[in-house]
Amino acid sequence: MSENTPSDQGYAPAPQKAKSKFEFLRGLTLLGLLLLIWIALSLATESFLTGQNMTNLMRQTSLWAIIAIGQTFVIITGGIDLSVGAIVGLSSTVVSILLKAGFPIWAAVAITMLIGPIVGAFHAFGILRMGLPPFIITLASMTGLRGIGLLLTDGLTITGLPDEFVNFSRESFLGIPALAWMALIVAIPAFMLLHHTRWGRYIYAVGSNAEAARLSGVSISRTIYLVYITSASCATFAGILTASRISIGVATTGESWELQSIAAAVIGGASLFGAVGNVLGPILGSLLLTTINNGANLLNINPFWQRIIAGALIVLIVWLDQMRRKKR
Amino acid sequence: MPPTKPLTSAPSPPHAAGGSNAPLVELKAVHKRFIGTHALKGIDLTLNKGEIHAIVGENGAGKSTLIKILTGAHEKSSGTILWEGREIGLRSPQEALGLGINAVHQEVVLCPHLSVAANMFLGIEEQGYGLLRQRAMIQRAQATLDDLGFRLPAAAPLNSLTIGQQQLVAAARAAMRGTKLLIFDEPTAYLARGETDLLFSLIRRLKREGVTIVYISHRLEEIFELADRVSVLRDGQLVASRAIGETSQAQLIRDMVARSIEQVHHKEAIEKGELLLEVAGLSGPGFKNVSLTVRRGEIVGLYGLIGAGRSEFVQCLYGRQPKTAGRVSLRGTPVKISSEADAIRNGIVLVPESRRDQGLCLNLDVGFNLALPIFQRLSPMGLVQRGAERAAVEKQISDLAIATAGRHAQAFTLSGGNQQKIVIGKWLNHGADLFIFDEPTVGVDVGTKVQIYKIFAELLKKGAGIIMISSYLPEVYDLCDTLHVFRAGRQVAAYAAGEVGHDVILGDAIETQGSRR
Repeated sequence: MSENTPSDQGYAPAPQKAKSKFEFLRGLTLLGLLLLIWIALSLATESFLTGQNMTNLMRQTSLWAIIAIGQTFVIITGGIDLSVGAIVGLSSTVVSILLKAGFPIWAAVAITMLIGPIVGAFHAFGILRMGLPPFIITLASMTGLRGIGLLLTDGLTITGLPDEFVNFSRESFLGIPALAWMALIVAIPAFMLLHHTRWGRYIYAVGSNAEAARLSGVSISRTIYLVYITSASCATFAGILTASRISIGVATTGESWELQSIAAAVIGGASLFGAVGNVLGPILGSLLLTTINNGANLLNINPFWQRIIAGALIVLIVWLDQMRRKKR
Repeated sequence: MPPTKPLTSAPSPPHAAGGSNAPLVELKAVHKRFIGTHALKGIDLTLNKGEIHAIVGENGAGKSTLIKILTGAHEKSSGTILWEGREIGLRSPQEALGLGINAVHQEVVLCPHLSVAANMFLGIEEQGYGLLRQRAMIQRAQATLDDLGFRLPAAAPLNSLTIGQQQLVAAARAAMRGTKLLIFDEPTAYLARGETDLLFSLIRRLKREGVTIVYISHRLEEIFELADRVSVLRDGQLVASRAIGETSQAQLIRDMVARSIEQVHHKEAIEKGELLLEVAGLSGPGFKNVSLTVRRGEIVGLYGLIGAGRSEFVQCLYGRQPKTAGRVSLRGTPVKISSEADAIRNGIVLVPESRRDQGLCLNLDVGFNLALPIFQRLSPMGLVQRGAERAAVEKQISDLAIATAGRHAQAFTLSGGNQQKIVIGKWLNHGADLFIFDEPTVGVDVGTKVQIYKIFAELLKKGAGIIMISSYLPEVYDLCDTLHVFRAGRQVAAYAAGEVGHDVILGDAIETQGSRR
């Protein structure tokens, strides 16, 4: 049996190599673009390459990256989660209310974290049992949850959060901001789940060909529950961290972050048609979006222009990515 | 190849069981009815353990329905199914999988973005400490592929392989899972000869290991090369089941076509007029070098198996696909048709194969669908003349006797036959004179069929010409004045009406011995 395995002039590993090289290249071009922008900003401004600005950049990137990672899970199954921005707003107000009510920090955080599984399970239920498209059910949450947050706070800002809670987001450990560590705490298990467990496999399988997955005995409904709960939980976590960072609870926090997270995932190589994406992509995508905002601020570019630039970059990057994919 | 360990982990070894001599599967008087069609009419079929059982039949004879019942995708309407002598319901794909029934479909049903190994192990992943044992799975998948002599990379993404290679992966995957009954539905449709040989050696090996194989193919020579028994389906009935040594290709073809032809094929004697369409040496994606003419008052039939290039040819004629060579003349003048709009302007109309995907806006109403091609005429100043629209629509509904709650009923609420009348009817007011019908009577009941054939006659009398594609031989045979046979993208024969018998035409369309290079 052994004689026909190795030296056959088969084409065995070739396509695989081509693929991993290609993946590496894409990561590289995004990194390359980032480096280019960083170098340009370092030369153009005095304040970009300062410790203060770098720390700021990492903090904002971390918050967006956490949401974008959850979003990527949903996108790989071919779905979309428009509710993440509203979840950030709701969880930042809920945690603030609980802290003001005198709950210890650990309890306030633990209770607030329940929002994730509840909202995520609601989305999965709507998609699977009520037959609603992901776009619609999460669109409903996007406005509905925002309303709940405004009702809870009466539209007012909650101030005077405990110092310990507020200081957390300003701390650093080993020279790296605490918020970046939090992003890592999300990213590493997410990476293991997506790339090293059967559940990760099923997420890709459902996005690639749900019928084939079903015929192979894969539970589509469990997979859908898993991704929407993951996405909502990531957003809840980011909401708590955001409350700490801005040291207040405001129901309108995280407005339009759902679009940022989708943009970050797509810039990072995820396909809205499903089955394509990884964990590193949304992190790099968030870093790019944050850099653009940060750089534009430092360069004193009209904030209205910033939006136009970000929009143009999304078109450019995703178009380039698709061209490269086609060539393969 | 030295003796190897069995591929499949099927629980009981083939003949060791000794005791139970019951056939693996027995179907007794199995019927399947859909709305408007009676797809299987009392099938009695026995599949013995460890045999390769071929099933042949024309398109629409009921083969796919039979497979769907065996794999649990459809539930039988009535009848009995025995599994090793025990009655089973076979109500879901899960039940079929649990018994050890697997299928390799004509179209690959796998996840294109996952690796070959991930597809082979999908749903049965190997894990350690909750994590995937990816390297081990790739190694095992590679070992299985190598063992079968498939030179395929287990770690490559599935979509980097050709369709034929993906089909081999699907076969290896089915073989790897505890299989007792493995159904191959036209597995060689996309395979090159070398790949076919690999697949056959896999099938023979599974047979030696005691797996029962159901093999469905239009390629009769493959069946004589591989099968132990062969059963013929015709019009939803099992007409013969014989040992392969007791039959011949000629007999199988006779069994497949000898049918009770219902007298539904309405045909009137209509005088042929001037030359309407002349196609010379047309080539394009999926077909090569097709030449034919259509006169006014003539029906030209295109017959062949699914995938023979007929649809591709008419799509090109209609401007959906660019031609690579050849000339097209209409009414004696050369024309260049590079888009659907060009075709319609030139008086060519295509009634597509899939009325749901290509013919109708299903969730819009009947009136909208009927008026869609003529809105330009109905809106002279840019505004739709609602009165004219209503008049045109009501006239079609009554002329064609479309059974609908009214012009405001949504198209999807109509039966298949009435939907088809809309698809045809929307072009009747348009003033075209060359009509192309792609499978016009699929899924349509007998009464509506006759009405559709009468519409054909009306069109012909008004001086139109018709090209009709059909995979149902009696239909094209009885209705067409000229019949062109397609096989594998080529025009292989042309006959005048009644010039030869059904068997000759079917023989041309199927790859029989000698016809394959």
